[in-house]
Amino acid sequence: MPDEMKSTATDKVTARIPAVYTNALTGFFEAATSGSLFTIRFFKEIVKPRYEFSEFLKQSYLIGYKSFPLVAITGFIMGLVLTIQSRPTLVQFGAESWLPAMVAISIIREIGPVITALIFAGKVGSGIGAELASMKVTEQIDAMEVSGNNPYKYLVVTRVMAATLMLPVLVTIADAIALYGAYVGVNLQGNVSFHLFFLQVFEKLEFLDVFPALIKTFFFGFSVGIIGCYKGYNATKGTEGVGESANSAVVFASLAVFIIDMVAVQITSLFI
Amino acid sequence: MEKQKGNKTRLGILVTVSFILLILAIYFIGSRQQLFSKTMHLSGIFTDISGLQVGNNVRFSGINIGTIDKIEQITDSSVKVDMKILESSGKFLKKDAIAVIGSDGLMGSKILVIIAGSPEGKIVADFDTLKTTMPVSMDDILVNLKVTSENSAEITSDLAAIIKNIRNGNGAIGKLFMDNAFAENMDDAIVNIKQGAGGFKQNMDAAGNSILLRGFMKKKKKKEERAKERAIEQAEKKEIREDKKEIREDKKQTRIEKRAERKEQRIEKREERKADKAGKEE
Repeated sequence: MPDEMKSTATDKVTARIPAVYTNALTGFFEAATSGSLFTIRFFKEIVKPRYEFSEFLKQSYLIGYKSFPLVAITGFIMGLVLTIQSRPTLVQFGAESWLPAMVAISIIREIGPVITALIFAGKVGSGIGAELASMKVTEQIDAMEVSGNNPYKYLVVTRVMAATLMLPVLVTIADAIALYGAYVGVNLQGNVSFHLFFLQVFEKLEFLDVFPALIKTFFFGFSVGIIGCYKGYNATKGTEGVGESANSAVVFASLAVFIIDMVAVQITSLFI
Repeated sequence: MEKQKGNKTRLGILVTVSFILLILAIYFIGSRQQLFSKTMHLSGIFTDISGLQVGNNVRFSGINIGTIDKIEQITDSSVKVDMKILESSGKFLKKDAIAVIGSDGLMGSKILVIIAGSPEGKIVADFDTLKTTMPVSMDDILVNLKVTSENSAEITSDLAAIIKNIRNGNGAIGKLFMDNAFAENMDDAIVNIKQGAGGFKQNMDAAGNSILLRGFMKKKKKKEERAKERAIEQAEKKEIREDKKEIREDKKQTRIEKRAERKEQRIEKREERKADKAGKEE
């Protein structure tokens, strides 16, 4: 078939699809490409000196330490509520003594990492997105580039690294607090000593419950950081763009957390 | 600068706490799986392991002493189960101990239970193979239960037939329970027996008053009177002994009380003397 005829056929097909869909599709692919390039740039920049260690520590403090109270409260409520909700069903089966082990496995394997990551995405993802977007629209990033600094290294690498390393720390503490919440929940309607609760929790826990859950939190943290930075770094449309970046950072980071979780569960199930 | 230093400290505390928690979790999970204690390896060969899995507990005397390390099919009808046992518990296992697959409660996971061997048996060594026995499966229980229920159905139908016969007054027991004429005859018979017994007593009294048996009856009476007298005397002696015992105990008690009183008095005097001395010194 001659080339001219081919192109006319393609044009006919595209002409039938409404422009809204074609634009959305093109926009999606463009975003996928620029997002991938942004992520690849991160891995290139991270190995190159000079390392912004003090900025990394500052961001770790802001991202990790400042999120701790929110994560702690969420963790405690998570453990407490899960225990109270699970109790009646287990009581029906006469398996009340399984409550600590069941709640512990649920918290450590799934609920702890995912809920903490979602809270983290809400707080940190939007924060990073809004901060970088406002820097972008006020041309501070451009100014950094002009003055010979590498804004990507200073702003993006430090934030993504801090998010990647701080989320596992927060999840570990949130799990411990959630287990304490579960202990309180067990004792609201029953009477179990802390020692017995502790033994029942660790009786059923395996390394395969702890490590895959911990490893996936690094990916959660990375995705929250990189999406927040990408959305902020590529903000447009002035002050309106700041809000949009913050909003879309949270939405996409939350979605990424669920997608990574789904993949992680599939991979973990291969070893169980 | 000071603020930055404080921030770093707080961040450091957060990270350290997280690490400590993680290390503790690893330690507790690891210690349950005997990663940090001395272990020994035992094995058993089963024809059916009923869903036993690597990591399930090994239990001896109701205590978890190890875990299943490896499960390996060695022939078409035998499975080798390797277990890791705490060395401290292994010294109580005898070579003739028997391994059996059980269940941790009704809904629990499978466990391997080791039944103790003979007390005079030799202690197991590392890499020994234990004797095994097949557990009673749920299917066997159901088959037995079916036989039992069939038998009980047969028994209850026979019992129903017997009760029906009794109600109808058939057979000896039926007559006994249901026949009114039989009950009346029984009443008559009992009245007759009573009358017969009364007549017999009168005859015996008359025989006792006759010349031939009077001597014998007197001797019998005297014997009975003597036995009664002896019994009374023994009862009196016993009473006297008990009274004496009581008196002795009372005396003992009073002696103890007097001694205690004297002791108290001595203590009081001593205290008074001490108080006097202290007063004089002042």
